[in-house]
Amino acid sequence: MNWHPHTISLLGIAALAAPITSQAKIYVSIEQAQVLLLPNQLLTQSPILISKGLQEKLRLASSIRHPFQGDRIWKAKDGSWFVVDEVVGKHEMIQYAVALSPRGTILGIEILEYVESYGYEVANPAWRKQFIGKQVNDPIKLNQDIQNIGGATLSCKHLTDGVKRVVMLYELALKEQSSKTK
Amino acid sequence: MRRCRPLLGTFVEIVIKDQMEAFHTELISEAFASIELVQKLMGFHQHQSELSKMNHAAHLRPIQIHPWTAQVLLAAKDIHHHSRGLFDCGIGHRLIAAGLLPQHLFLEQIHFGGLADLEFLEPHLIYSRRPIRLDLGGIAKGFAVDQAVQILQSGGIAGGAVNAGGDLRVFGDAAETIFLRDPEGRRPPIDIGKLQNGAIATSGLYFARRDSCFPSHIINPTANSLEQIHHEFLGSYSVLAQECIYADALTKVFILSENAHHACFDHFKAKAIRIPA
Repeated sequence: MNWHPHTISLLGIAALAAPITSQAKIYVSIEQAQVLLLPNQLLTQSPILISKGLQEKLRLASSIRHPFQGDRIWKAKDGSWFVVDEVVGKHEMIQYAVALSPRGTILGIEILEYVESYGYEVANPAWRKQFIGKQVNDPIKLNQDIQNIGGATLSCKHLTDGVKRVVMLYELALKEQSSKTK
Repeated sequence: MRRCRPLLGTFVEIVIKDQMEAFHTELISEAFASIELVQKLMGFHQHQSELSKMNHAAHLRPIQIHPWTAQVLLAAKDIHHHSRGLFDCGIGHRLIAAGLLPQHLFLEQIHFGGLADLEFLEPHLIYSRRPIRLDLGGIAKGFAVDQAVQILQSGGIAGGAVNAGGDLRVFGDAAETIFLRDPEGRRPPIDIGKLQNGAIATSGLYFARRDSCFPSHIINPTANSLEQIHHEFLGSYSVLAQECIYADALTKVFILSENAHHACFDHFKAKAIRIPA
C-alpha cells in the first residue's frame, strides 16, 4: 500500500452552509446494458401505454411516486424483457436496467447512472424535478470528475423498491405479451 | 469501463483501466459473481447461507464451511485477538434485538458467546463452545472486494478499483485520488490524498441517521451496561490497509477505541483517518 495524504483538505473542513451540488456517475449506456444482461438476443423496443389504473397499481406496489414511463421497454425474441427505469429520492437519482426472463424471473440488474446531491436544501423538489421525465439520450451534465468516493455504506433500498415496480409491471402488463411472442 | 450492480445491500462498482478493456467484459462479470458468492455464503439476510447454518447449529455439531468463509473467520479471529476484543462479529443477537437484523430463529433466553468461542477443528470445519450469532456484514464486504480485485488482477487487468458502498480498493501502477463523503452531507466529497495498491473503508452513522431511526449499528462488544451497547458517534472513521477485509474490520476498532494510534493498526500496517462532523 502506498498512501500520500492530502493534509490541506483534511484540515480545512469547515461546516458551512453550501448550495446544492450534484455528483454524477455514468456507468453503461442502455445499449451496453442490453448486451450485458441479455447477450446474443435481438431486442425490439416495445413501448406500452401506461393507463392511470396501471400507474396507480405500480405506485401502490413499490411506494414510488413519480410516474413510470412506458417507452423504455424492450422485448427479446425468446420473450425476455429489458426495462429501464429510475428512482428519484431526496438525495439521489438512480437510473437502472432490469432484465426479466419470459416467466418474469430477474436475470440481472445493471446501474446505468447514479447522481448524488449535497447541500442543505436537498429536500427541495427542484433538484428532483430535473430528473423526472428525462429522455434517454439527454443526460443531465453534472460534475463527473470525482471517481473514487468512500464513506459510510449507502443502502440500496430505494433501488429495491424500483425493481419491485418493474416486477409488478411484468405481472400486470408484460406477462400476457411474453407468451404471444413464441 | 465502469460498471455498477446492487449487491451486499449496497452499490458495488467495478472500474477497470486497461487498454484492452473491451475484451474484459467476462472478467468483470466473474468479479461480480465472486461478490455474489460471498453474499450467498456469508449473508445474514439469507437464511440458507453458511453463516445462518453456523448461527443455527455450530454449538450443536461441527459445521463444514467453504474455504472463503474459513478465510474470513480466521481473519476475524486474528483481528479479535490483536484488538483485544474490540472487534467481535459475534454481536448479531444485539442487532436482532434492536431490529437492525432479521430474526430467523426463535431467540430463547440464550446466553450467547462471541468470536472467542468459535474453534477450528480442521481447516474447513468449525465448532462453537456456546450458541453464537455471527454477523459478518462488514468484514465479508471487505473480503468480497478483495476477491473481486484478485479475479481482475489474475485475469491480467492492469489497474482499476472495486468499491462496495464505500469499502474501496484500488490496484495497479497509478495512484488514485480518494474522496470521502462529508459526514454532514453538505459538501461535495473531500479529497484526502492518493492511494496506490491499497484499500480504505469508512464507518459513519450519517446515512443511518438520515434514512432510519434505529439505534447505532456499531455494537460495543465489551459493553458493561445496556447503555453502552449501541455506540453513538459523529463524523466518519476510515482505515487504510493493504487489503479491504482488514480496512473494514479495523474501522470498528478505531470507532470504539477513539484512538488513531491503536497498537493493532501498526500490526496490520494500517492508517486511521477521522473526518469530524
